[in-house]
Amino acid sequence: MDEESRRWVERLRPDGRDREEALVELRQLLLRAARFEVRRRCDRLSQIRGGDEDDLAQQSAGDAMVAILSKLDDFRGQSKFTTWAYKFSLYEAAATIRKRAWQGRELPLEAEQWPLLPDPGPAPQGEVEMNDLLAAIREEIETSLTPRQREVLVALALNEVPIDVLAERLDSTRGALYKVLHDARRRLRSALAERGMILDEQMEEHE
Amino acid sequence: MNGRARENRLIGRLLGPAGPELSCERCFAELDRYVELERAGADANAAIPGMRAHLEGCSACAEDHESLRAMLSEQGR
Repeated sequence: MDEESRRWVERLRPDGRDREEALVELRQLLLRAARFEVRRRCDRLSQIRGGDEDDLAQQSAGDAMVAILSKLDDFRGQSKFTTWAYKFSLYEAAATIRKRAWQGRELPLEAEQWPLLPDPGPAPQGEVEMNDLLAAIREEIETSLTPRQREVLVALALNEVPIDVLAERLDSTRGALYKVLHDARRRLRSALAERGMILDEQMEEHE
Repeated sequence: MNGRARENRLIGRLLGPAGPELSCERCFAELDRYVELERAGADANAAIPGMRAHLEGCSACAEDHESLRAMLSEQGR
């Protein structure tokens, strides 16, 4: 662990000699990161304006502070302490903004976003393969996945609902939902392989 | 984005990365080290196997990765 990081950890421990001062400094550092993230994201979001932005940054920095102090013993010095601390504040700010952007909106949990596949007919070979693949994926989503896997895959991958937003609405966590998504994807890949569709080569062809 | 590119992105989101990948929890735990390795020009993907695949498969973690990189770049100016 580098010297500066070690000093941060020592000062922040419950028995740290100048803990109060260190907490103020940490709060400033986290607020800087949260404001950075809020500014970046709010440029793209019309729902969040002016005073809201600073409230969001303050709230995110506060949540990050609580998380950091409870996980201080997890810090092993594999990065600088400040980098480790920034990620908590950026994470909290990003998740809060994603949730705010979807506040009051109904989540699209049904398969609404499928591209319209053209009628069968003469088409370049690559397009035929792409359309066949999409059609097969669509069928396998209906027949090979559990209802939970289908719900999560459709919301996250097809309708692009942010995972934090879906986690909040389903009373779950990002990690738990990603596990469901991962298992659904594995199942789809396996079903498509059984159909003789060589996915990776096809994907690479279209990069 | 044209139709073909949009469909490619959709297939990528539906099927995810092909190889083994970290969980969101492990990704968060390793994110600071990964970004510092990247910034140092080291082979971050070899040091933390499964991280790159997870960042390809999880858009939220990919955004966190991008944010931390951007934050450190700004600090380093």
